[in-house]
Amino acid sequence: MLAQLFLKECKQTAKSLIYWLIVLVMIFNFTSQLGDLEIDRAPKPGEEEYGFQQSRDPEMIMRSTLGQLVQEYVRKTYTTYPIGFYKNVTLNEEDDQRIGRILKETTGIGSHDEAEQLMKDWYTAREADGGKEVVYAGAMQTEPADGLSYERFGELMDEADRILGGGSNYSKEYREKNTEIPKTYEDACKEYEMLIEKDRLTGGYARLFSDYMVIFLGILPVFLSVTRGLRDRRAMMQELIYTRKCSSFAIVAGRYLAMVVMLTIPVLLLSLVPLYKCISYAGTAGISIDMLAFVKYVFGWQLPTIMTVTGVGMFLTELTDTAAAVLVQGAWWFVTVFSGISNLKGGNYGFNLVPRHNTPMNWQGFHDGFAQLAANRLLYAAAGIVLMILTVLVYTQKRKGRFQNRGKIFAHRKNKSEV
Amino acid sequence: MEKYLHIEKINLKYNIPLHILISILMLMVSPLLIGVANLGAQDTAKVLEMYVALTGIVLLPPVFLPEQDHDIRDLVYTKYVNGAAVYLVRLSGNILILTALLGIYTVVLAHNGCEFPAGRYFLGTLAEMLFLGGLGLFFYGLCDNLVIGYMAPIVYYVAAMGAGQKLLKMFYPFSMIKGSYDEKLWLAFGAAALIGAGVWLRCRRKG
Repeated sequence: MLAQLFLKECKQTAKSLIYWLIVLVMIFNFTSQLGDLEIDRAPKPGEEEYGFQQSRDPEMIMRSTLGQLVQEYVRKTYTTYPIGFYKNVTLNEEDDQRIGRILKETTGIGSHDEAEQLMKDWYTAREADGGKEVVYAGAMQTEPADGLSYERFGELMDEADRILGGGSNYSKEYREKNTEIPKTYEDACKEYEMLIEKDRLTGGYARLFSDYMVIFLGILPVFLSVTRGLRDRRAMMQELIYTRKCSSFAIVAGRYLAMVVMLTIPVLLLSLVPLYKCISYAGTAGISIDMLAFVKYVFGWQLPTIMTVTGVGMFLTELTDTAAAVLVQGAWWFVTVFSGISNLKGGNYGFNLVPRHNTPMNWQGFHDGFAQLAANRLLYAAAGIVLMILTVLVYTQKRKGRFQNRGKIFAHRKNKSEV
Repeated sequence: MEKYLHIEKINLKYNIPLHILISILMLMVSPLLIGVANLGAQDTAKVLEMYVALTGIVLLPPVFLPEQDHDIRDLVYTKYVNGAAVYLVRLSGNILILTALLGIYTVVLAHNGCEFPAGRYFLGTLAEMLFLGGLGLFFYGLCDNLVIGYMAPIVYYVAAMGAGQKLLKMFYPFSMIKGSYDEKLWLAFGAAALIGAGVWLRCRRKG
């Protein structure tokens, strides 16, 4: 029964206008972002620059981060980007004292006056050196206190970030990002070798492809699932379907599976274009590629997002009989995409619905953050299934005559028949 | 005049309260998510263009929602008052609410020490709000589907974030962040055209 319903739902989806609009948007997104994709060539010696990389030197990270903390502590205002938008945080006395204690432990500076004097001395020394370039806020560096371990430094900076509400210069991703250093030719060669040997070329480009596609997949599936959810009601077929012998699980799971599969197919088809480019390049450069890399990344990286967003759409539409899921998912998408902007190069995936890795390089970052990414993707795949099961429960109740609010949020508020 | 006021009264009482509530909620939670104090002109433009303007998507496309059911629509179109007039009254009401919300928000930003040209930013953001809402209204009218009405402006917004000015040219919605207002004029004219076309398409579906 489930297989029959699944096939029927696939046909229904293939006939719906919204599905083809979604496919068009996917094609548009792909061509505008990756249409002119060119495979990176091996770096050559003597080039002007080879890009930037995050320093992994703990001493440098500590000095830069503590320099920023001293400056913001003196100014009593802290710059944060909790969801990618600028936010200025001014602390109350209690939190200011907590930051003061952190500063004391990490640098030995015991008061505002001491910090201010240190800042003045630092800038005076730079001016005396004739260093006109050192005028930007993040330039100051402060020596860490004697015996401060990098682990303890990390713990204290995490605490400072929590006090500031997240997204501050002291969060893990920012404090590493703040110490970017130029890549040397050797660094660039090493990273290119990682792309060829570890990622076998296609792995890196499959991640880049996933990064661009998952942004739209964080919102598009909700339009399909909401439209599908409202269609029965619009066509006045709800009651007729309720009376059928088929189980609620088969009906809902059939629809859910059909939508997830139908949304995954165009993504798989689009992945053939960068795969073809990789094959062409690999043929001329003599590289052995992983032919299945794109398939693995579509299922491992993008499918969990499709599953969750489809689940949100189905569940909220079944529960409310309205298009409210579009607004809910829209809000979730907004927060998740803007908060991910701080970590575009990958490596720190957290529990973001839309994990970012906007480069074919940085295999090391991907490798280091793989456990986190795997947990993230498993969580969202499970969330999609849980939402589908919740939809089954609501659907079952509706078949029993409950939850019949027919799109009205406050269905039982007044005007009840006295009869 | 009295009948038009009555149409708007019904709209305010039954059709739009939830959408107004969502818009107010969006604006009220903004200090938790983004900075709304002591911002420079560029950051203020970012708040208005990338966040506040989204209320246009919430408030304008649902103008056609009460007649989503074909039977109700047929009944409404048999009445003496023209269907287009009903939509235009509702639209005017919703645009007034949108303007008021934006006005209050702009005053709050200025009061919080943000430095920006208030008049220009207000008009520029209003143009973008109307364009986003008008896009939704047009596609709702064209496809007779509220979900597509929400999808069109959201896709436009996401496309603007991704491909940006290179693709959207004069219809780039986040131009104030870059200090340009020319695009806002195009958005204002575009909004008028889309809203007009949306209402016309909706009324054309009488038969």
